[in-house]
Amino acid sequence: MILRIARSRQGGKITHYDLYKVQFEKGMSILDVLFQVQDRMDPSLSFRYSCRGAVCGSCGMLINKMPRLACRTQPETVMDESMNLQDFPPIMGRPEGWDPEKEILIEPLPNLPILKDLVVDMTAFYAALEELRLWAEPAEGEKARNQKPDQRDKIRRYLNCIMCALCYGSCPINHESAEYLGPAALAKAWRFYDDSRTPNADRYLKDALKPNGAPMCELIMNCVRACPKGVAPGGAIRKIKSHDKE
Amino acid sequence: MVYEHDVLVVGAGLSGLRTAIELSDEYDVAVLTKVHPLRSHSVAAQGGINASLGEDDSWEAHAFDTVKGADYLADQDAVEVLTKNATSAVIENEHWGTAFSRKGDGSLAQRPFGGAMFPRTCYAADRTGHNLLHTTFEQALRKAVKIYSEWFVTSLVADKDGIFGLTAFSLATGQVDGFCSSAVVLATGGFGRVFGKSTNAIINTGDGCALALNSGVPLKDMEFVQFHPTTLFGSNILMTEGARGEGGHLKNSEGKRFMEDYAPDQMELAPRDIVARAIRTEIREGRGVENEYVHLDVRHLGETKIKERLPGIREICIHFAGLDPIEEPIPVQPGQHYSMGGIDCDKEGTTKLPGLFAVGETSCMSVHGANRLGGNSLLETLVFGHVVGKRVGEYLENQRRRSNKEVEEAVFDIRQNLQSLVMREEGELMSSVRMEMNAVMDEKAGVFRNEEDLQQALAEIRDLGQRFDRAALGQTDERFNYALIRALELKNMLDIAEVIVLGAIHRKESRGAHWREDYPERNDTDYLKHTLVTKEDDELKVSYSPVTLGQFEVKERSY
Ligand SMILES: Cc1cc2nc3c(=O)[nH]c(=O)nc-3n(C[C@H](O)[C@H](O)[C@H](O)COP(=O)(O)OP(=O)(O)OC[C@H]3O[C@@H](n4cnc5c(N)ncnc54)[C@H](O)[C@@H]3O)c2cc1C
Ligand code: SF4
Ligand code: FES
Repeated sequence: MILRIARSRQGGKITHYDLYKVQFEKGMSILDVLFQVQDRMDPSLSFRYSCRGAVCGSCGMLINKMPRLACRTQPETVMDESMNLQDFPPIMGRPEGWDPEKEILIEPLPNLPILKDLVVDMTAFYAALEELRLWAEPAEGEKARNQKPDQRDKIRRYLNCIMCALCYGSCPINHESAEYLGPAALAKAWRFYDDSRTPNADRYLKDALKPNGAPMCELIMNCVRACPKGVAPGGAIRKIKSHDKE
Repeated sequence: MVYEHDVLVVGAGLSGLRTAIELSDEYDVAVLTKVHPLRSHSVAAQGGINASLGEDDSWEAHAFDTVKGADYLADQDAVEVLTKNATSAVIENEHWGTAFSRKGDGSLAQRPFGGAMFPRTCYAADRTGHNLLHTTFEQALRKAVKIYSEWFVTSLVADKDGIFGLTAFSLATGQVDGFCSSAVVLATGGFGRVFGKSTNAIINTGDGCALALNSGVPLKDMEFVQFHPTTLFGSNILMTEGARGEGGHLKNSEGKRFMEDYAPDQMELAPRDIVARAIRTEIREGRGVENEYVHLDVRHLGETKIKERLPGIREICIHFAGLDPIEEPIPVQPGQHYSMGGIDCDKEGTTKLPGLFAVGETSCMSVHGANRLGGNSLLETLVFGHVVGKRVGEYLENQRRRSNKEVEEAVFDIRQNLQSLVMREEGELMSSVRMEMNAVMDEKAGVFRNEEDLQQALAEIRDLGQRFDRAALGQTDERFNYALIRALELKNMLDIAEVIVLGAIHRKESRGAHWREDYPERNDTDYLKHTLVTKEDDELKVSYSPVTLGQFEVKERSY
């Protein structure tokens, strides 16, 4: 199996692609083969990792032009899969020489500045969490608060977000406008707003409706297709938008 | 460049963040972490966190289960702190926003976990660590805790009177810089990756233990390594004990629920070490599937329950093993899971070195003794994050920052060391040294141990240590040099592997997770004590310290 990996030594832009022939065994993930490259062929290759089990959100990248977690992607299946994303520049086109029949193409996650090879600068993605103040004000008292299972169910899918930024990297709006807060932060704002325990829920909604928040979303829904955790941030954004009209 | 703070916390998992939050109101605290905080391994914890919330339950009952589970090697005073503060730690995190799973009436749900007499484990589906870590990180953001993300700590700087600070390497720039502080808290997590088959994240390389060891601080009870009975065959991703808590069955190749031969009362919910040895025995005696694994069968729980209670497990099976547990049994085998041992410290995290503290999985207080109960280590991170944070605060009250000169000199030395490592382009691959270390530890210091294997392992690990010194990194770049990080981690793991094996050789008994085939009995007369391994003049010295006993009398441990 051949990997075609985007390289960028200084960061900023992809300067070239390197080809590596890797040994593939059943059960291996793209992350495993990237380690094979780093361990045995090219120690200068940089990529992020931690859990290798699709829970830490470190390893988001573009694999065959689809935003994916490297650790959860099986090389065998990626060849004939499609996420049916709406096109926008970084996922369109083909780098010169790429033969999709024979090679797996690996590139950094779009919409965030490249720092080196597959490592991108997540600052803007994390900053949105602070801009929207996505935390709870601690409750008082000696006892746990009450929350009925059906109340928890309403926010369950949003709790599953691992902050991998695949949604951010798949969003055409994030591509065009650096100031757009992005799907994950907005979905998290909804998670706090819709949590039956939140006393000051309106502030999350109000913040999410800032000009660089939900109003910028055009409901393209690439985020819903790209999200590896079924969070469906676009659904939350739609709900936030519906409150805008009120 | 030299950075200055009152206190530095190394590690941004649950224990590091909780400690930093405790200190942030009154002190200038900074957290250094080699990965962004949300990527810390705490995020992967699945099953839950223990607290005696139930009406018939009590902290004493929780303490008893913990001490018994620990095969009486836990310090009972530390266990008391853990279990007495459990309820408030869980409630605090609920107040911070964690969406725990609930009972029909809206109160916190609790599930049964191995080795516990009550259903005492609170959970957020099977993503408890994820929920706790995200919430705790949110609170750290709220408090604007200073975080140095993607900084790898390379050494502690201290003399016999105490800590000056540390040196760290920034991934983004490739530069080593110095950090000066009056106190350092190590919260660096476990060292599972010393073993090949491990449920731990790739970054769990025990750096904190190595930092302490190389500063003359003893490591305690390092031979006690927990092997989780049920890890997914292939990737060794954890299949939570919750799967058995919810009623999952373990079956051998004959389809028999073999736990009835090993722990007829508790069956699948016997403590982990017992279940792990049972599975290994089944496989060794030819009743494994493909000679490699047994089956964890949850099919009888039905689709609804599996989807509701074990969604994470199902997702892992689908993506990492290509099977749906609603339809097929899950292939599982034991794998390294938790490090009971760690940096020798007291129940407030204080180590022998003034100004150096330890907390979380990297510490050994010891609340887990010879075997940790599931759900107790998330608890440890939150309870002791709070306790150690408080203690460090008290320590800081009476401290004046010491000079910066020592840190500056240390930076200079570390730069030179790293430079020479990076320059070495010819030599054996680092990865082959790592893979051999993994194989030695899996095969000779794993679930079953004996003198001959352990002696061989010791010789081989020492040899690998020498090979490391000649191995080469190859051509790397300065920025985001992960190959260099992996090499530094390997060096740390080789140090730790030697300590684990040495402790195991000297402990000629079987207790908890440490199982010696040649000494199958527990021996309280000679070994009801903690192992301490200290590095002095480059030599490892083994000594012992007493176990703090208490209200629970030392008894035979049967289930
Ligand atoms: C798969 C799995 C499931 C688990 N499930 C449960 C469960 O259900 N219940 C339970 O109670 N326990 C569970 N545990 C155990 C529990 O998750 C851990 O013991 C606990 O989360 C450890 O937290 P910590 O804060 O000590 O360390 P970690 O969360 O591992 O954090 C370590 C931190 O140290 C940093 N660090 C390390 N080295 C360096 C360095 N050199 N320089 C800078 N930073 C460094 C890392 O970046 C990281 O931020 C589980 C463990 C595993 C492996
Ligand atoms: S919403 Fe989904 S894609 Fe976006 S950060 Fe969260 S888990 Fe990743
Ligand atoms: S390595 Fe953690 S999500 Fe891929």
